[in-house]
Amino acid sequence: MYKKLLKDDLENFIFILKKFGVVHAPVREAGRVYEFTELTDSKILQLNYTRTMIPPKKFFLKPKEQLYILNRREGFKEIVDDSKIVLLGVHACDINALNLLDRIYIDQFPDRYYKTRRENTIIIGVSCKPDEYCFCTSTNSSYALEGFDLFMHEIDDSYIIRIGSLKGFQIVCESENLLAEASSNDIKEFKRAEAERLKEFTLHLNVNGIQDILDASYDHPVWQENADICFGCGSCNLVCPTCRCYDTADFLNLDLKTGVRVRRWDSCMLKQHGLVAGGLNFRPTRVERLYNRFNCKMSLSEDSLNCVGCGRCTVYCPADINFVEVLKQVGED
Amino acid sequence: MTVKNPLTPMEAEIIRVEEMTSIEKLFYLKLTDPQIIGEFHYNPGQFLEVSVPGVGEAPISICDAQREPGQLQLCIRKVGRVTNAIHRLKEGDRLWIRGPYGNGFPMKLMENHNLLLIAGGLGIAPLRSVLQHALLYRTNYGLITVMYGVRCYSMMLFREEFIRLFREGDKLNVKFLLAYEDESDTKCYQLACERSDRCMRGLVTRLIEAATITPDNTYAVICGPPVMYKFVVRELTQRGFTPTQIYMTMERRMKCGVGKCGHCITGSSNSIKYVCKDGPVFTYWDALKTKGLM
Repeated sequence: MYKKLLKDDLENFIFILKKFGVVHAPVREAGRVYEFTELTDSKILQLNYTRTMIPPKKFFLKPKEQLYILNRREGFKEIVDDSKIVLLGVHACDINALNLLDRIYIDQFPDRYYKTRRENTIIIGVSCKPDEYCFCTSTNSSYALEGFDLFMHEIDDSYIIRIGSLKGFQIVCESENLLAEASSNDIKEFKRAEAERLKEFTLHLNVNGIQDILDASYDHPVWQENADICFGCGSCNLVCPTCRCYDTADFLNLDLKTGVRVRRWDSCMLKQHGLVAGGLNFRPTRVERLYNRFNCKMSLSEDSLNCVGCGRCTVYCPADINFVEVLKQVGED
Repeated sequence: MTVKNPLTPMEAEIIRVEEMTSIEKLFYLKLTDPQIIGEFHYNPGQFLEVSVPGVGEAPISICDAQREPGQLQLCIRKVGRVTNAIHRLKEGDRLWIRGPYGNGFPMKLMENHNLLLIAGGLGIAPLRSVLQHALLYRTNYGLITVMYGVRCYSMMLFREEFIRLFREGDKLNVKFLLAYEDESDTKCYQLACERSDRCMRGLVTRLIEAATITPDNTYAVICGPPVMYKFVVRELTQRGFTPTQIYMTMERRMKCGVGKCGHCITGSSNSIKYVCKDGPVFTYWDALKTKGLM
């Protein structure tokens, strides 16, 4: 079930996608900064982008979202958002990041808000070319095997499309006139393109045994050196596709009776993250918070990293802390 | 079909409030929705997320063993925004709760063993649920020794209940020991005069030093201010307790209780633990493996 879409037909294909939800896709914001925004005009679509600043997690775990309408006497009434969205042009690393988020937000105590949005969102992946910050081959996330509905691999003037779900299959059925069966020659081209892409990666990180290496390197000077230059701003958390800490807060309206319960992204690099009532802080210093973040990224659970090698934390760090470089230093001496 | 939303708080009525100290109150709660009551079960050591709408939510450990369906007790110190708001509530007012969360104490595993419960200050609250459970199923457990460290008599929680145990615990095969810090505390001094082997001035570790405790067939359970753990653990390991014989319950800023919000993550990458769902009860062995847990 591999299909082929000519680039000339992309606009018509997007027209069909709109039947399935509001299409959001990477658009150039400024310079090299791309964002997933609503695709109002297919001319602004940038399918060969490097990376968006904010990862697609923002569609599932919103930067700020209302969870409940609250009433001081009556309690909480759930706010349900059932909007349908099509995310076009998601890279393999970001799809793999969503798969990691699923493990947290769906596998145990499923989060209603996240799960509903995940079910209401169609994800169409697109192949990419690495830049000097990408290291997804090291984190085993350079190729998406699941977590998408369709995946488009760019081959010259066309896309080879993989179908990842029943919903994806429905889109393919709707787009029958635009899609052709991929020929054996197309598949050959697809394999060639994938092999070539792998050769383009220049950044590599050895993650073999990194969990123990980090545990044993608590006293490594590299933590303090980087904590000294770190602004503690939390940008790395905001741009990370697998960072998912949140905080909740209640806001009352002026009537002091009704209000909303809101959740918003939080950051483990901020001082109040480890604070408990009474003033005790379990991670009082920046170096402890930095160490914690690197450890958290290198372990979701015993069997999985919590990093997909997208390079965002390095690209957007205002202090130029290089994620891979820090881990290499810890690992090498 | 509506899927249950784990973040949705359930309404509970405050059926009684007891002032325990100047900063701590005991709240008796009862869930109002009869449909939920039947499904609501909790174990010693589990905690709830307690909401005051418009103010926020805070994690609070349950301080009793479940007897009546849908009822529970919370011992709450006013220390933050939410707990201050809870302290303003009266009998008949409503609170919203969700949970119970966390693993709780392994009451089954500890059956047929002696229990050594060591608490400092507010740390007695979760341990009281262990004590109550063991008393409720008294024949399933051996000797229960409680070591409770307080600053002074007026800061002692569950005072009447514990003084009764202090005096008459032997009938139930319970040894209740008290340590107090304040030198000028006459009431505690009187207790010390009454039973000098059961009430002493000093920190809770003083009680361990003075008592003849052996690790044979015993589980130790600790809860107190973070600084307390390492001293208590040291005393216990010196007396031959193995790291898996020591249980402790931990505090963090658990915002969600369901392993999502990330605030209670601790440890380095070869052992990442969520205090809310992997804990809050851990063994000392977990603490040895997990950096920063203790």
